[in-house]
Amino acid sequence: MLIRRLKENAIELIHIEPVEAELLRQIPVVCESGGDGRSEARLFTNPVDSSDTQFLTDWAEYVRPELRHLFLSSRNTVKEDLEKLSDGPGRLGRLVVPRVHSDAWLNALNQARLILATKFNFSDRELSMHETPKWFSRRDLVLQQINFYAEIQERIIDAIEDQ
Amino acid sequence: MAETVVETKVETSLGTPWNVVVHDDPVNLMSYVTMVFQRVFGFSKQKAQHHMLEVHHKGRSVVWTGARERAEFYVQQLHGFLLLATLEKAE
Repeated sequence: MLIRRLKENAIELIHIEPVEAELLRQIPVVCESGGDGRSEARLFTNPVDSSDTQFLTDWAEYVRPELRHLFLSSRNTVKEDLEKLSDGPGRLGRLVVPRVHSDAWLNALNQARLILATKFNFSDRELSMHETPKWFSRRDLVLQQINFYAEIQERIIDAIEDQ
Repeated sequence: MAETVVETKVETSLGTPWNVVVHDDPVNLMSYVTMVFQRVFGFSKQKAQHHMLEVHHKGRSVVWTGARERAEFYVQQLHGFLLLATLEKAE
């Protein structure tokens, strides 16, 4: 897969292999499935220590719903963009992401990576490893998925900074 | 008749300054954190990278200090980008 800037207003993902297309389609799925307590705690972290209970209560009441809405909106944008992914049997896929959707993509990719890293309990060391293992366990595959999403984030940042 | 002079002492309290602290997180990419600092605080790329590297090497960086309300706003923005950020009283 190659990610590049397309004119001024879009980012283009081309030569998308079937497995990559599947991983892309998994972004909103992972985000939506990540409702366990630890993932939730990572997505919605406390802004102060636990002694400031009144502030934490206000934060939970007023700020957290706004954050939740932002995260939901980002993954819905990604989901809608992915419906336009053109691929099929025997051919590589192509997807055009409007430049104004790049923040939503970065956000949804981050949500997916945080949820997977929390769910599978990856250590800092594991997350910084980029070698391809010889044998794939389920955990190894998830780590590859996290790294694949990180690579897309890097390429999107490159593409928007290039403008 | 003696003139009474009333002195009024005006004190302007700006309150305790608060720090916005960003903490290290193995998931957020260095390039992403740099980009977020540029967006949220309007930092130059060089300054944003300086703070990003401080987070990476020291585990935390004070990225802004000032009034509590503004600090809360910045922390909310940073949480929107999924960075680990907290508020603490400046010493």
